[in-house]
Amino acid sequence: MDRRSFVKAGCLGSASLLVQGLDPLLRADSVPTAAPPVELHGFPNYKPSPLGMPGLFPGRVVEARDAQAIVRNRVSQPIVRRLLDQVMRELTGETSARDAWAKFVEPKDVVGIKINPSGAPACCSSPELIREIIAAVQSVGVPTRNIVVYDRYSYEIDIGSYQALLPTGIRIVGIQDAFSGAGNGYEPLVYCDANFFGEWETRSYMASIVAHDVTKIINVPTMKDHSASGVTGALKNLAYGTFNNVARTHRAPHTFTNPLIGLMCTVEPLRSKAVLHVMDGMRQVWHGGPLTQVQDYIDQTGILMVATDPVAMDTIELQAIEKKRSERGAPSLWQRDESSLTPDSNVFFHDPTKNLFFRQPGHIAAAGKLGLGVSDLKQIDHRLISA
Amino acid sequence: MTETATPNPPREWPTLLGDNARTGAQGKRQLHMPEKAAWQYRAGSAVRSAPVLAQGVLYVASASGVLHAIDAVTGASRWKFESPAEVHSTPSISVNLILFGCDDGKVYALEQSSGQKVWEAVSQAEVWASPVVRNGVVYFGSADAKVYAVDAGNGVAKWVQELGGKIYSTIYAGEGQLYVGCGDGKVYGLEAATGKILWSTLTGNGIDSSPAVADDLVLIGSEDFFVYALKANTGEVKWKFETGMGISSSPAVSGDLTVIGSKDGYLYALDTHTGNLRWKTIVGEIVTAPPVLGDGVVCIQAGGVFALDTRSGQIVWRAALAGAIQSAPVLTDDSLYMASLSGEIYALR
Repeated sequence: MDRRSFVKAGCLGSASLLVQGLDPLLRADSVPTAAPPVELHGFPNYKPSPLGMPGLFPGRVVEARDAQAIVRNRVSQPIVRRLLDQVMRELTGETSARDAWAKFVEPKDVVGIKINPSGAPACCSSPELIREIIAAVQSVGVPTRNIVVYDRYSYEIDIGSYQALLPTGIRIVGIQDAFSGAGNGYEPLVYCDANFFGEWETRSYMASIVAHDVTKIINVPTMKDHSASGVTGALKNLAYGTFNNVARTHRAPHTFTNPLIGLMCTVEPLRSKAVLHVMDGMRQVWHGGPLTQVQDYIDQTGILMVATDPVAMDTIELQAIEKKRSERGAPSLWQRDESSLTPDSNVFFHDPTKNLFFRQPGHIAAAGKLGLGVSDLKQIDHRLISA
Repeated sequence: MTETATPNPPREWPTLLGDNARTGAQGKRQLHMPEKAAWQYRAGSAVRSAPVLAQGVLYVASASGVLHAIDAVTGASRWKFESPAEVHSTPSISVNLILFGCDDGKVYALEQSSGQKVWEAVSQAEVWASPVVRNGVVYFGSADAKVYAVDAGNGVAKWVQELGGKIYSTIYAGEGQLYVGCGDGKVYGLEAATGKILWSTLTGNGIDSSPAVADDLVLIGSEDFFVYALKANTGEVKWKFETGMGISSSPAVSGDLTVIGSKDGYLYALDTHTGNLRWKTIVGEIVTAPPVLGDGVVCIQAGGVFALDTRSGQIVWRAALAGAIQSAPVLTDDSLYMASLSGEIYALR
């Protein structure tokens, strides 16, 4: 029995250890000096796609908003349809939405739609938006059987009721079972290896569905702050939703989401397959993310953004969340004041001045330096479409 | 596993929420706060369905695809059946058979005493709903958008009816009619003998909830945030009540009291005939499980297990066990059986 087999066998009774590697709320004994070296193991000789991040339109982010897109916390199907149509045409310069989508997917593709159900039902990838993305992918000629909606944790997908709410024939896949560690949906040859806090299991493996099954990924992040990474957007939804054993990068109050999020997004074939990012900003969480259900900190903004460049998209998101926090009197996501820390998640959820970690919004710029996109606001082509 | 003998064999609980009328534990004595865990059983993977109980055996399906038959008194394993795919369906008992749906698109019928497969019925997509048995016929909905009626004895199809969306709602089988919610946002009334669609009523979003029937009303929740009461013979909306979030919980009905959870974290008690709110109590961040009504109490799993006074909505007791929000407990005269998302099954007394 090798070390990893031993770890897995030994942890069967402890779901959090098995799944997360470490309880993220364990306290760090000392202040880590710097991020340890991270070894990346992608498929050797994988030929990168020109559609891969930052994709066809580096630095371009198209945003549309309509206050009527979400009313009394319900997302309007027809308005989301119109917004998606508008932003896709603006992003690509095409006159028809179908032609816009055809720049990213072909009839022969197996299309994975990476949702973010964490935080469901209060703030997650809206089923209404996912329905429209499915319809758009179908309009290009991709058969229904070749469209798969997926995320890491099946129980979170259940809470969002995606199974019942998405069209017949669409496969919905939860890669793993968060609570009992069941699920072997990971590729052993593709992984990131680093020892952050002395954990036993130092590898995070890529989901097989990404490594093998899908040929294109439409990434559908939500617009939220994140207690560890600052915000959770396109980059984090891809990275931490594709690789397992990622919560080990947090040990309160420290987190190594920077640099791991960006590094994970460079690993092939994830980088090549993630061709489009559709950010669901129907709801915007400005405190308590990613899991909060506290409506006081969730604004119904009716925003939709698209980009092929996840760094530019997350930079715009970070700016928006920062602005919102400033308006509401909450401290900056960049704050590193020890007095703002709390070990109590209940305190954190109900007090915007508190946080569990020193947040790492710098992961976005770090991803930019890795070539994944543009993080300089002055260089981002941010196009706004008003209703 | 700890074991404690109980003097009386537990009463029956052969299907989701107790019986075909989904009455829960009504008629049993008031449920007191459990004093101890009589036993604990580890299923090995998450449980996303509810246990059922028959002839002293508790049946629990784990998400990894194993159906566990557990001695309800001792907690010892009687047998296990490994199905080829995940299982999210609550089992049902039919005479000497135990039935459950599977993600491989099949409904399996096993011999209750041994776990040997007797028959299987095939659909084209996963079956998460619980099979329902009435008058020798098994009814179930599938994610292939079809409702199936098969012979309970041999699994041979009697009829198949296609609806407009995926079906995760468990059918309510009345004497001559079936009622079911559908992913297309409609509630359907079907003729039990033929599957013919008698009526359909559109709600504002897909339906994950399973209906209950009280008098001439079909009660069901929708992801459009509303609880609906529809006239059973026409589907006409008699009333609807708005909650704060989508509803995938299912109603429990006792006379003029209807209780249902919402993803806004509240448990709502409504007047069955008017939809007027009697009380609402927050029991967790999210409620997706169906509540179970006992005499004077309503139990709900929402991160832990809560028992509330049916008259006031006051929480009578809570147990920080069974951290599941999708399962429902089995209540008997002296025991409470629960399954958890982490795969633990508890008998509390």
